Amino acid sequence: MALKGLDIFKHTPKTNCKECGSPTCMAFSMKVAQGAVDITKCPHISEEALAALSEATAPPMKSIKVGTGDAEYTLGGETVLARHEKTFVSKPRFAVNLTPDMDIDAVLAEANKVDYDRIGERMHAEMVYVEFTGDAAAYTEAVKKVTGKGKTIILACKDVAAAKAALDVCKAEKPILCGADASNYAEMVEVAKAAEVVLGVTGADINDLYDTTAAIEKLGYKELVLDTTGKDIKETFAITVQARRACLAKEPDRTFGYPSIVNLSKIAPNDEAMQIALASVFILKYGSIIVMDTMNYARGLALYGLRQNVYTDPQKPMKVEPGIYPLNGADENSVVLTTVDFALTYFVVSGELERSGVPCNLVISDAGGLSVLTAWAAGKLSSTSVSKFIIEEVEPKVKSRKLIIPGKVAVLKGDIEAKLPGWEVIVAPNEAVQLVKFLKDLQANGEI
Amino acid sequence: MPFNGKSGKFNASIGTVEFGCGEKAIKIGGENVLPFYTFDAPIENAPKVGVMISDLGLEAEPAGVKAYYEGCTTMADIAKKAAAMPGADFVCLKLEGADPNGENKSTEDCMTVVKEVIDAIDVPLVIAGCKNVTKDAELLTKASEVAQGKNVIILAAKEEDYKGIGAAAGLAYNQKVGAESAVDINLAKQLNVLISQLGVAPSNIVMHVGTATVGYGFEYVVSTMDRIKAAALSQNDAQLQMPIITPVADEAWNVKEAMASEEDMPEWGAQEARGVSMEVSTAASVLASGSNAVILKHPTSVATISKMIKELM
Amino acid sequence: MTLFDRVFGGNDAVYGLTEAAIDKAIAEHGADKAVAFPHTAYSLPCYYAVTGTKVANLGELKTALGVVKTLMTREKRLNDAFMSGVATALCAEFIEVLKYIDGATPYEEPLYGHLADATIRELGVPLVTGDIPGVAVILGSAPTKEDAVALVKSYQAQGILVTLVGGVIDQCVEAGLSMGYAVRIVPLGKDVTSVIHVVSVALRAALIFGNVTPGDAANLMKYTFERVPAFVNAFKPLDDVIVACGAGAIALGFPVVTNETENIFRVPKSLIVQEDVDKFNATSLEARDIKIKITKIDIPVSFASAFEGEIIRKGDMQVEFDGSRKDCFELVQTKELTAIEDHKFTLIGKDFDEFEVGSKNAISYIVDVAGKNMQSDFEPVFERKFHSYVNCIEGVMHTGQRDMIRVRISKATFEAGFRAKDLAEVLYANIKNEFDAVVDKCAVTIITDEAECSKLRHELAIPAYDRRDERLTTLTDEAVPVYYSCIMCQAFSPSHVCVVTPERLGLCGAVSWLDAKATNELDPEGPCQVITKEKVIDENLGRYEDVDEAVAKYSQGALEHVTLYSIMEDPMTSCGCFECICGIEPCSNGVAITNREYAGMTPLGMTFGELASMTGGGVQTPGFMGHGKHFIASKKFMKAEGGFERIVWMPKDLKETVAERLNKAAKEVYNIDNFTDMIGDETIATDPETLLTFLTEKGHPALNLEPLM
Repeated sequence: MALKGLDIFKHTPKTNCKECGSPTCMAFSMKVAQGAVDITKCPHISEEALAALSEATAPPMKSIKVGTGDAEYTLGGETVLARHEKTFVSKPRFAVNLTPDMDIDAVLAEANKVDYDRIGERMHAEMVYVEFTGDAAAYTEAVKKVTGKGKTIILACKDVAAAKAALDVCKAEKPILCGADASNYAEMVEVAKAAEVVLGVTGADINDLYDTTAAIEKLGYKELVLDTTGKDIKETFAITVQARRACLAKEPDRTFGYPSIVNLSKIAPNDEAMQIALASVFILKYGSIIVMDTMNYARGLALYGLRQNVYTDPQKPMKVEPGIYPLNGADENSVVLTTVDFALTYFVVSGELERSGVPCNLVISDAGGLSVLTAWAAGKLSSTSVSKFIIEEVEPKVKSRKLIIPGKVAVLKGDIEAKLPGWEVIVAPNEAVQLVKFLKDLQANGEI
Repeated sequence: MPFNGKSGKFNASIGTVEFGCGEKAIKIGGENVLPFYTFDAPIENAPKVGVMISDLGLEAEPAGVKAYYEGCTTMADIAKKAAAMPGADFVCLKLEGADPNGENKSTEDCMTVVKEVIDAIDVPLVIAGCKNVTKDAELLTKASEVAQGKNVIILAAKEEDYKGIGAAAGLAYNQKVGAESAVDINLAKQLNVLISQLGVAPSNIVMHVGTATVGYGFEYVVSTMDRIKAAALSQNDAQLQMPIITPVADEAWNVKEAMASEEDMPEWGAQEARGVSMEVSTAASVLASGSNAVILKHPTSVATISKMIKELM
Repeated sequence: MTLFDRVFGGNDAVYGLTEAAIDKAIAEHGADKAVAFPHTAYSLPCYYAVTGTKVANLGELKTALGVVKTLMTREKRLNDAFMSGVATALCAEFIEVLKYIDGATPYEEPLYGHLADATIRELGVPLVTGDIPGVAVILGSAPTKEDAVALVKSYQAQGILVTLVGGVIDQCVEAGLSMGYAVRIVPLGKDVTSVIHVVSVALRAALIFGNVTPGDAANLMKYTFERVPAFVNAFKPLDDVIVACGAGAIALGFPVVTNETENIFRVPKSLIVQEDVDKFNATSLEARDIKIKITKIDIPVSFASAFEGEIIRKGDMQVEFDGSRKDCFELVQTKELTAIEDHKFTLIGKDFDEFEVGSKNAISYIVDVAGKNMQSDFEPVFERKFHSYVNCIEGVMHTGQRDMIRVRISKATFEAGFRAKDLAEVLYANIKNEFDAVVDKCAVTIITDEAECSKLRHELAIPAYDRRDERLTTLTDEAVPVYYSCIMCQAFSPSHVCVVTPERLGLCGAVSWLDAKATNELDPEGPCQVITKEKVIDENLGRYEDVDEAVAKYSQGALEHVTLYSIMEDPMTSCGCFECICGIEPCSNGVAITNREYAGMTPLGMTFGELASMTGGGVQTPGFMGHGKHFIASKKFMKAEGGFERIVWMPKDLKETVAERLNKAAKEVYNIDNFTDMIGDETIATDPETLLTFLTEKGHPALNLEPLM
């Protein structure tokens, strides 16, 4: 069990000196307890306190940083096995599988077509996985082609010399050298240390992977990721799950406390549907980097949506941007509907509105990312908030003066009408699924 | 020192429910580990894959689905072909034509379809309603009667209509009751308790704990299933030990990613591939979260998911 | 003659007849002759259900009669009477089955006789759903045919399935009443023995729907008692045979209501004399505990939540009732069951059409409720719903509560015919529907007479409110036998469990102990469950074994221990919907509280949002705790650490909101005057150092308390 804020606070100087960046020692302690900052950020903490706390506050699973600049990503650092226990923190990243014999530019160009924004998050394949196939020169050439492309590079190479040569090309971009195994780990550690890059560890099976990782830790290198890919789908799932479970157990086994790489191109080669199925499984169950043949919209729309959902903090629901969303070819004369900015509500409501085919302007005002009833109860959805948004944002742009409000806040109708002179307020049904019929009926009756 | 992984086997297990009859009857549930954790203990009954067909026929289906059923002219033909789909374990007949906001077919007309399908296939059957609570209460009560002796799953009884559907399916006509709740562990449990209080045995209840498509609030589905399995296995909560069945096809093919045409979204590529992807991703995810059966419709999805299950078992 | 004599006598008579009939049949057909009812897999259903033995021919029937004889013990004990009743019923079944020998069809239109299994399967579903709320068995002849038809129709209108035996059938036929299964009126037969056909339905329902093992008589009777809502209406004169049959009905849990007064013995809830045939319906429903669902509220305008937010402007107003100008009130009163006539409406004063248009008037409504499970603690819970009930009427606006209400009725609604009785109907129907678990009877009185309103307001309503307020202040954690869990917000805070006690309402501020109690009674499987408090571990901390067990159960094992009164040791978890969070402020040895509405910085170095993200989600965070505003002045507020005198800082608005209660409590508990003046706020300090200076200046008591850590 991780330390509580108060336990940490007892070890701080309690001077509120603010040098750590937090306004009080208590606030600092709470952040350390959450794993949000490191205990060493306190310049005045005593050696004894540090010794007492560092073991207990050390996260069971390391956060590993890879890449640079825009392509820098944090992997791992998870504290729970299921998101409802707290939250998942470092979303899995997708890597495109490349070999030197491919037309790398073309493959990259194809994968790069997928690059879009979904509720404030950029969706694209963040990494490339470049596999060594025996020809060092060709490998270096291939690595050159992916360097400087804004993607984090994973060098899948167990050949020490070839790895060195490839690192010479790309080490400034902080790639992952995924190449240590039982036979070469000592040399590979040296290579990785010298280049200051994260080392990927592979094993013949889970025990081999464990032993090699333990041996590398003994050499003092702890910037690691685990290649948990096994010989087939079943073994890959078994290793990936067991490694994560071991490090997040009540008595953590920190040897497995590193992010994972799962290579679907190896266990489900050339099978797009199977790669989508497995990528979904590994998004849920403990993949940190997922390697696939390519990225395209069919893959991305599903997998990025899933990833965004699963890595949402249960305490901080996803929000959509406030604004006017015209649907079904709506124009300024189309009816106005309003609801909250809770992403799930938005998706469900906009989905039903689209199904109705009735042109309408969906107006989303800031309701703190809460659902309709919760927002109403918390005062974030009120006649004032709605009318203010309508007057400031909607009236200048939309001519329609009919406003449909959620059925669950029918109670607001009178107040909104009072605050929005000239508007007719219509109460929608309680559930979004009833919207299609409701709108079609309104349309059929000529009311909108 | 080799890796010393502790087994995650639980003392409690998920209940087993058998549906269908004769040699083709199938069992779901029974496991005492988390989904696909065969490294902890063997899982006796692999999750099952069902094929969704609709009483409205094939008109609204994507090309790949239509192509698979090519030449089928009657519901009996469609049902037979669905039962024969590679990877399929059972068939789910959805009576969507009964929806008062849609075709509003009479219960009698729907029962004709039910009979036709029952007579055509020997694999286990799930009968799903039209999602209109009032109509389903009548429709599924009648379907329970019409399917007497077939041991079908009636999908589903909800909080609003569980009494009638639960009594008809679970008591009067010895079918299996699907208990549908809306993505909330406590609601799922409450419904199980209520249906049990009618006198329906736990071995005659399967849960449909609600679903969503990946990208659409799917985190609630994951957490609900995670928590249900945790409560059932680690807390030995008997009221949550019913196996879970999750219809995926309807939701997955109904989102923008699957519905937007290539003209509207040229950069997104082939529409059907997107639909398959949404269906496959959602199905794989609900299985990894604890569903003991999924209901799909596209032949590629059915083949992929059943293959994935085999590989993982 | 005692009731025993009548039952035993009747039983013996029927037994004699049965024996003679079977012997005659054997003489005629031989012992191997098959006997069976048509279309059933359970022949003979009643005998099979009670004994577990099937009967296929006359020889076996004779053997079965021997078994029946063993039930006919003659001690004068209740059980002997019941068993003789059952024996009488079984004899009736034997007599009836003889009528079906050789595939005979003894019952012809309109009579039904034996009912098929398929009918029972069909009937079972609406019985379970309550669509058929009850089964009436009417036996004998009513005083007049009009009485007969009126009684049958009254049940029919309630959706109750009516079965008829004997003279009442001819009375209904004569009156031209349309009968048949489709209209839920089933004439069984004219012989009294044909009553067995409805008993057969009840017993087969137990086998089919209750999974009762044939022969398990105890569970059979338990099932019919609990699940088959049947009752008997027997018209005088009652002979011994009918009395014996009645004993059988009572054994199955079906009360008998009769207008016979001669030689009858009243048994509470089982054998009830009701001389007034008009009241058979109400008496029967009450005795069998049948509640009729109201599916549509019969008023001239719409009733829907969509109208909840309507505002009626002065110009559109037909009449207004204004509690700020006139004496008005709304009140729920618990009464004895016998003191209320269900659905009675009384109007004292003018109806809406007698007021001047646009005038301001007085109105009061008193809703009397009664029920076996009703408790006066629920009164305010119901009363709070009036606002929403009345507002949901199209064209009616309601604000306020208790004696500070205002009601406006629009012209359009008035013109549609809306009157006082319609307002009463809305209150009646909603109370009966929403609170059917505890309300058996409800009557509404509306008063528009000004003098009467004034009088009742002062003599009845205000004392009632005062009593309730008094009850709330005396309601302490120590004074109640149980607490309640609340898991309403687990949807977004999965492992959080609120333990709601009288002095510590849910941390959302919305669920009081009384609310939780009512929620539990009304929805026993719902989010609020009883937590016992019998196994105390530490009274001061509020640590109980029972509470720990409950918390572990409802959090699915995520939480193992909580204390009710400590912020330092296993404090109660917080969901995400708390009104306030308090956290310890180490410099001043106290706690700072901040609330959701205050977005600014606190002396803790964290804002509400930051605190919420660290303490929410059902995670235990010693030193921090979410709670409701009301809890701030509670004597149980961090009682283990010294109580609310630890409070050193609150946002100004919050401080003003709670000042009156907090100052009063501080005076009472610590003898401190104007305690809130000693508490800092954002206008004084948002950092611990300045706050400490301020507290030292004011001599805040927390500075001298034992160190928190």
